[in-house]
Amino acid sequence: MDNEKVVLELSHVSKSFAKIDTDEVTQAIYDISITMESGEFISLVGPSGCGKSTILRLVAGLIMPTTGKVTVNGQEVTGTSPDRGMVFQKPTLFPWLTVEKNIGFSLTLQGRQKEKAGRIEEMISLIGLEKFREDYPNQLSGGMAQRVALVRTLINEPNILLLDEPLGALDAFTRMNMQDEIIKMWEKRQHLALMVTHDVDEAIYMGTRVLVMDSSPGRILADIPIDKALTRDRSSDTFVAHRNDILRKLHFSGSAAG
Amino acid sequence: MPQKEALQNAAESLQIGGLTRKQLQKLESKEKTKKDKRFEAVTLSLPILCGLIAVAEYLYIPDNRPNHDPHMYLYVLFGFIAAYVIYLVVALIRQAGGESAVYEKVHYKAPRYAALFLLAALYDYLTLKTGILTQPFVPCMNFIICAAVGDRMMLWDCTIHTLLLLFLGYSIGVLLGLITGIACGYSKRCRYWVDPVINFLGPIPTSTWIPIMMVVASSLFGGAVFIIALGSWFAVTVASMTGVHNVDKDLFDAARTLGAKERQLVFRVAIPHAMPSILQGCTQAMGSSCTAIMIAEMLGVKSGLGWYMTWAKAWASYDKMFAALFVICLIFTLVTKSLDLVKRHVLRWQTGVESNG
Repeated sequence: MDNEKVVLELSHVSKSFAKIDTDEVTQAIYDISITMESGEFISLVGPSGCGKSTILRLVAGLIMPTTGKVTVNGQEVTGTSPDRGMVFQKPTLFPWLTVEKNIGFSLTLQGRQKEKAGRIEEMISLIGLEKFREDYPNQLSGGMAQRVALVRTLINEPNILLLDEPLGALDAFTRMNMQDEIIKMWEKRQHLALMVTHDVDEAIYMGTRVLVMDSSPGRILADIPIDKALTRDRSSDTFVAHRNDILRKLHFSGSAAG
Repeated sequence: MPQKEALQNAAESLQIGGLTRKQLQKLESKEKTKKDKRFEAVTLSLPILCGLIAVAEYLYIPDNRPNHDPHMYLYVLFGFIAAYVIYLVVALIRQAGGESAVYEKVHYKAPRYAALFLLAALYDYLTLKTGILTQPFVPCMNFIICAAVGDRMMLWDCTIHTLLLLFLGYSIGVLLGLITGIACGYSKRCRYWVDPVINFLGPIPTSTWIPIMMVVASSLFGGAVFIIALGSWFAVTVASMTGVHNVDKDLFDAARTLGAKERQLVFRVAIPHAMPSILQGCTQAMGSSCTAIMIAEMLGVKSGLGWYMTWAKAWASYDKMFAALFVICLIFTLVTKSLDLVKRHVLRWQTGVESNG
């Protein structure tokens, strides 16, 4: 697997959206500057409407910043690329393609037919859905669909993996299982992962760095490094301390929520 | 039932997950009582019984008017009864082999077949036997069958003509409709120019063009193709335009992050996503084509089944007219059915867990 080192940088990025029916303009994020690099797992937490997803969509190249620059290794992002893979909150699988073909979709687009079969096999065994390869997405459960969506993106071996609340719609058990699966994949490849979540526990459990955001306009309140050796246990003192700290920053009383 | 017990044991010793869907259904279904079984047997033999009633009605009630070639109708009746018996036997053999799908289908449809035979008997009674339905305008079955058999070369010829005209017009219309519809669904500029055309042509029923076509077109065949194509074009354009226009934006985003270029977004996301809508348009287009072709043939075109019907009427051969009607019914049913099969195959991803058998 190629382990190209990447540095992702947002410098003074602001993004505003025009409302459709009125003349008003909403400012989603304002003057954000961050630097991230391979080997980091970054969790973005914050209340809804604080522009977490906007940051992800900017990095993906689905939208362009109003002012400022998003760069990868110094090159400005001007469009999407399979090298910056994104997993959405909804699985967004193509309902007319089987599991196999959904996973291979990206390689089909790029005309990489030769390696396709082997790579698909690898991805299917990675998520253990061998029995469902011929099934269509509407025959899958939510957890299975999201796993397929995950490997559909991972088949490109992206250097930057963007996760837009990928576990938000799953039940608690599936969610915890998938948290571990995602971490395992990340540990193996050491790519840069950037995940949006509503769940403070999830942010601390998975991230090596937690960015706490505030809304209107979206900005970064705090940038907290997390020591992974100490926070794989959800009841450890460090974990609880981090949680109280973050909740306090988000204006919730730490002791009440803890 | 020992078979069921064996299944149950197999299920317990293996794992429930190892069962197929059909075995599971069998395991979960209620044991049939003796009364149920007897009732089923009666239902299954009902069509044969009603078929024999129709035969008896034809043979033993005296005719009201002279009947030529009286055996033709009997051949057909016995033909249908024999077909049913073969179907039933196949179903029973399949069921004995553990495959009950055909059996279920026969069992479901048997009352309908029976009703059809009774209807035939009733029709024969009202026409040939009593003349309650005005003669000779409503000919009896035997006359219609004789006419169809006697004039089969001509009917065959007309059928070919109708199908040729239908498919030529329909495929041209669908093809052009797909091109304009998809282009308009995807590009605003294209919609800007096509929208007014659709708004202007939309309210005009296709058959309105026929008198104009008869005056303007150099060949009536070409004119009819144009009219059928126009109707199909319209239906398919509107359907595929809405289909492509309403594509889930999230799917576009997903495809983009997976590296899709603009062209790939159209062919690999927009079109497959719009397929249900497009095929709906194709079905609608087939309906309008069938109407248009009949009107065109009855008014202008000098061949085909529609022409045959008006021609037979002009010669007061009502039996031939009805024979053509049955042929029309048959071919349009076949055409619609095959379109439906295509649709079901293409859209198999829409059906849920059931298809996972």
